[in-house]
Amino acid sequence: LYKKTFIEHFEQAPMYVAVLTFLGFGVGTIFGYLRDFMRAWGLEKRNVATEREQQKDFVPLYQDFENFYTRNLYMRIRDNWNRPICSVPGPQFDLMERVTDDYNWTFRFTGRTIKNVINMGSYNYLGFAETDVNALKTVTIELQKYGTGICSTRQEMGTLDKHVELEKLVAKFLGVEDAMVFGMGFATNSMNIPALVGKGCLILSDELNHTSLVLGARLSGATIRIFKHNNMQSLEKLLRDAIIYGQPRSHRAWRKIIILVEGIYSMEGSIVRLPEIVSLKKKYKAYLYLDEAHSIGAVGATGRGVVEYFGMSPDDVDVLMGTFTKSFGAAGGYIAGKKDLVDFLRTHSHSAVYATSMCPPVAEQIIRAMKCLMGQDGTTQGLQRVRQLGKNTRYFRRRLHEMGFIIYGNDDSPVVPLLLYMPGKIGAFARRMLEKNIGVVVVGFPATPITESRARFCVSAAHTREMLDTVLNALDELGDFLHLKYSRYSKSSHPELYEETRLELED
Amino acid sequence: MYVWVLAHRPGKSLYSPISGSVVLPARFEMLCNLFYRIKMNVGVAHSEVNPNTRVMNSRGMWLTYALGVGMLHIVLLSIPFFSVPVAWTLTNVIHNLGMYVFLHAVKGTPFETPDQGKARLLTHWEQLDYGVQFTSSRKFFTISPIILYFLASFYTKYDPTHFILNTTSLLTVLIPKLPQLHGVRIFGINKY
Repeated sequence: LYKKTFIEHFEQAPMYVAVLTFLGFGVGTIFGYLRDFMRAWGLEKRNVATEREQQKDFVPLYQDFENFYTRNLYMRIRDNWNRPICSVPGPQFDLMERVTDDYNWTFRFTGRTIKNVINMGSYNYLGFAETDVNALKTVTIELQKYGTGICSTRQEMGTLDKHVELEKLVAKFLGVEDAMVFGMGFATNSMNIPALVGKGCLILSDELNHTSLVLGARLSGATIRIFKHNNMQSLEKLLRDAIIYGQPRSHRAWRKIIILVEGIYSMEGSIVRLPEIVSLKKKYKAYLYLDEAHSIGAVGATGRGVVEYFGMSPDDVDVLMGTFTKSFGAAGGYIAGKKDLVDFLRTHSHSAVYATSMCPPVAEQIIRAMKCLMGQDGTTQGLQRVRQLGKNTRYFRRRLHEMGFIIYGNDDSPVVPLLLYMPGKIGAFARRMLEKNIGVVVVGFPATPITESRARFCVSAAHTREMLDTVLNALDELGDFLHLKYSRYSKSSHPELYEETRLELED
Repeated sequence: MYVWVLAHRPGKSLYSPISGSVVLPARFEMLCNLFYRIKMNVGVAHSEVNPNTRVMNSRGMWLTYALGVGMLHIVLLSIPFFSVPVAWTLTNVIHNLGMYVFLHAVKGTPFETPDQGKARLLTHWEQLDYGVQFTSSRKFFTISPIILYFLASFYTKYDPTHFILNTTSLLTVLIPKLPQLHGVRIFGINKY
């Protein structure tokens, strides 16, 4: 089934790490209670919004306890999120320096900018987030010609020749019959899944699906069942039970069974097991909806996504969905597939009826990026970008594995989550990386499971080898300082030393 | 910030296991409990509505808990004024007090959840595994105060005063765990 080896790592850290993580959260909780007590009794200044004295006898406006985590743990390390930037988020960007006088409750800008911070957090996989004047020339021309926005829906007056051109190009790029583009990537999922499935249908969705897929599934009114992340046995069991038992009480057959998966999962860095899912879908006659938000442009030999990565034909997937936000440096999403499907969506999609269509300069940016990728602009720049991304990804992951960090995900995915585990290390890691002029994204509980806080790196084609080496050296130092190298399977942390001893032994 | 798009089956409590439908294998039941709980989780990496329900099942939690109790006991034994029976009774009582406060007194979640406040009036014990009874975490946390009680009774040599103290404190922690008392608030204490 698989034409090349499918290697995914989800290594578990040693048990003491989990124990220390819980201890960390426990200490944080106890101190949180202490501080709340001091705040309640007036021993400490209250920084959160509180009700007026006269309102104290009324039913409270909000639950104090629901804010416990935000108040006592998130506020301590809040300076690592929502950092204001003042340049385009390319491979490097400029940050506005901000300091806090009262432990992250308020910030103020010093007026300085931190220049050329290496950006490891933006979804800039192919490096199209650039402000090169020559590159964006066509976009500026279209902006002058069409204006900024279209104040109409697709079905009324909002379909321009730009949209038709873009849809033809997307269909050609993916190798399918037809495509339709929408103004918002999130809305592509949430507005189209209700058009495709309804009551009496069954949706089998992966555990770690994105919010937009969950919302679309919820809005459709279909029954939703969740299978374990990327676990084909779980999916097969659900499929078999669905077909054997039918709908919950009437036992009638389901009208439609649709499997919702993503190409690359952004928090885990894992790639979907597409060949197995397609064989399951063919065996049990279900439909497949593939959300390639992160994988279009980022995987595959020419950037056509997971379908190309696994060497499969786009006819195997019933609904190909993707976004232009990540690899194309624009905004919006598309749904592609057979002509009947897309024609149906043109008439029945909520987005086509109620939402405004994509604005022309953005469409032109996507057209330019896609033409570059397909090689239609006369250069091989597109292919070079895809190759560079692949090289960068493999290099980055290999070096991180060698250093001994625990990395999740597939060896070919440009999303690299590095596990930090302990809540104290989340703040320390992000702050120290900023001191070394590298911007990273960190995530903790409750967005991730309680023991699996992580830092997520997004490798870009625009990162040069020097930038990656800077980041890797910084990670090496920081890993030793913060004791993050938990992996028990690292190949070798110092390959050059190994070489030396081998020469010595040969003597 | 969160879009409320919940619509659950009318007349069915969200925190009771599915009943009256097809007999399904046990593994599948957990998935079934998620049928009516699929909501929008903004900014999170999973479709888990209330992460509090899974905390006690996490890897390392039971070990941390056991080590914590052990540490408490060692600290109490180190205090020179306490004899061994007193230290054991104190361990038992303080452990049960802590367990009562954190599992049966504190309600809701320390973070906002997208379940529109279904868990706000529920204690952590009632939230565990979305109200499914007799899961492994529930069994573990029911058995551990009993084991502590046995040890304390042994080390206090079944002295009457210690016995009364230990038994009452064990009862305060065992009775709220009964499935019949799921969601029950006696005399309206701790209702809101």
